[in-house]
Amino acid sequence: MADGLRAGGFRLTRRWAGGALLAPPLALFLLFFLAPLASLLWVSFHAPSQSELYGAELTLVHYATILSDPFYHTIILRTLSTGGVILLLSLVLGYATAYVLAPLPPRRRLLLLLLLVVPLMVSNVVRAYGWIAILGRQGLVNSLLRDSGLIDRPLLLLNSFEAVSFGLMTILLPYMVISVANALAAIDAQYKEAAQSLRASPFRTFIHVTWPLSSPGVASGMLLVFLLTLSAYVTITLLGGPRMKLLVSLAFDAVGAFRWPLAAAISFALLVLALGVALLILAVLRPHRVQGRG
Amino acid sequence: MPDVQTTAPASPDVRLEGVTKRYGKAVAVRSLSLGIPRGSFFSLLGPSGCGKTTTLRLIAGFETPDEGEVFIRDARVTQTPPYRRDFAMVFQNFALFPHLTVAENVAFGLRMSGVDRAKRGAAVTAALDLVKLTGFAERYPKQLSGGQQQRVAIARAIVMKPAVLLLDEPLGALDKNLRESMQVELRGLQRELGVTTVFVTHDQEEALTMSDRVAVMRDGVIEQLGAPRDIYEKPATEFVATFLGASNMIDATVVESGADASLVEAACGRFSVTGPHPPGTRLRLGIRPERVLLDAASGANALPAIVRDIVYRGVTAHLFLECGGQPMLAYVQNSAQSALDWRPGQAVAVTLPADSLVRLEAPPSNG
Repeated sequence: MADGLRAGGFRLTRRWAGGALLAPPLALFLLFFLAPLASLLWVSFHAPSQSELYGAELTLVHYATILSDPFYHTIILRTLSTGGVILLLSLVLGYATAYVLAPLPPRRRLLLLLLLVVPLMVSNVVRAYGWIAILGRQGLVNSLLRDSGLIDRPLLLLNSFEAVSFGLMTILLPYMVISVANALAAIDAQYKEAAQSLRASPFRTFIHVTWPLSSPGVASGMLLVFLLTLSAYVTITLLGGPRMKLLVSLAFDAVGAFRWPLAAAISFALLVLALGVALLILAVLRPHRVQGRG
Repeated sequence: MPDVQTTAPASPDVRLEGVTKRYGKAVAVRSLSLGIPRGSFFSLLGPSGCGKTTTLRLIAGFETPDEGEVFIRDARVTQTPPYRRDFAMVFQNFALFPHLTVAENVAFGLRMSGVDRAKRGAAVTAALDLVKLTGFAERYPKQLSGGQQQRVAIARAIVMKPAVLLLDEPLGALDKNLRESMQVELRGLQRELGVTTVFVTHDQEEALTMSDRVAVMRDGVIEQLGAPRDIYEKPATEFVATFLGASNMIDATVVESGADASLVEAACGRFSVTGPHPPGTRLRLGIRPERVLLDAASGANALPAIVRDIVYRGVTAHLFLECGGQPMLAYVQNSAQSALDWRPGQAVAVTLPADSLVRLEAPPSNG
């Protein structure tokens, strides 16, 4: 009896300890994320106002605009396709890099991964201007090409889909590589041997064992890459310019024009896109199956 | 029933010829040659680092030998990758694919071999029935106990009907009671299927319990190969004698030689050994503690000794004796005939039966 009581008491203190540990982040999350988000949602249902944050009148007009205006359709599609291309490229390039890094001895792997992160230590703004210095009209690439006589007029490398993708990839690729490399390194070598003992060639071992077992890392890498793409404002603005606007640019533009309720509605469009693609990634990769729960 | 009763002297299912495997400067396996007869349960026994696992991995093809050849069913497979070799394996930690159900795990090899879905289903059901896991097909490995995972690993291997079944310490991850019941079960299953089996273990009791033949390995070499009883009762070297349970080592010199027996002298006294030996020969003798006979009254051939300590173990008692200044260990059965009433300090008469004494090879000089 005494034992049972003590065990019960212990469980109680454990629960309290858990609650105590959870409380501060939970409070912060409620206070600084969920509450503002709720108020943002409230704002998005209002008419704009010249003097206030939002007008008194309740309206669905911003959402209607986003859903029906062909301009927004173009931007949403462009946002999705840019995200998709970046996702695909970073998946292929990132997985390949991770596949080479993962089997290395831990120290060397860590060192190389660290090397991969070094570019992230430079501010996005600095990096974007760096790209401008390289890709701009009078940039490194154009002057080299002109000096070597390959071109007469400078190529328009900036303000393009390619420039934005390139700029974003250099930021986002490390996230993918690190996620996947850690997942791959965590796979017990015995699984591959077991597959080979069961007549699976190295290729089929990869398809049926390595790939599914690495899916948690792939999923987290893809989520990071896509979500960061959606919110990467600086790179998109500096390298995309006025011609290559994405949804995030429109939110900023709307804020600039003091159309707070529209900006709020665009934010929710972004949130819906993010959630939708995140769910899609999880549905396709099913990373939870590695835990063996169906 | 698989074809176990081949009348012709069956060629070995697995054959190694002069196989050497090095890792850098370290030699894991040293010009090893052995043949494993069809249908037999063959154990590779030895301490960690003796090369037993490397030997298994050489048969599987996870390692390629630096020298020598590997054959499975007369096919030379030395350079063949694992997935083209006719074997199946049960891994130490089972290596069940966590993202696949029990049925999918068991079906994996058949699927990779291109067996069609319908045949796969029937074979998987049969294999799961065989390991008594009917009804667990849709579970995931994580949802099973260690013993159940073990059975799935076995089912996944035997469903392939391999020429040879490789077992890499498959019972090591199980607790003691489960391990003992799995030993019996695995052995029964192996007999039923008649599948040639190579079993790697560091547990001498496991090897003795399960095997038809045991190869005791040390430093990449087989020290002794034989039936469990031979290995245990007639160890060839001191290493084999001590690795398979305790053994008393006695250095003796031959004083008198007869036709079938010789008299030797050791620190503990004079006693006889079997076989003629030229007088003056130095012998290293081993005797198992359970073969040392004790008596309260000194007999004709008995050696005087003193009880130093007693460890009561239930079924037996371990008596630590001193015999002519040399320590000696004796196990006494806890039976009605031999009451465990020895006391420390008591004088006893020790008899070393001649047919229980084995002559050991001197340990190879390290140099």
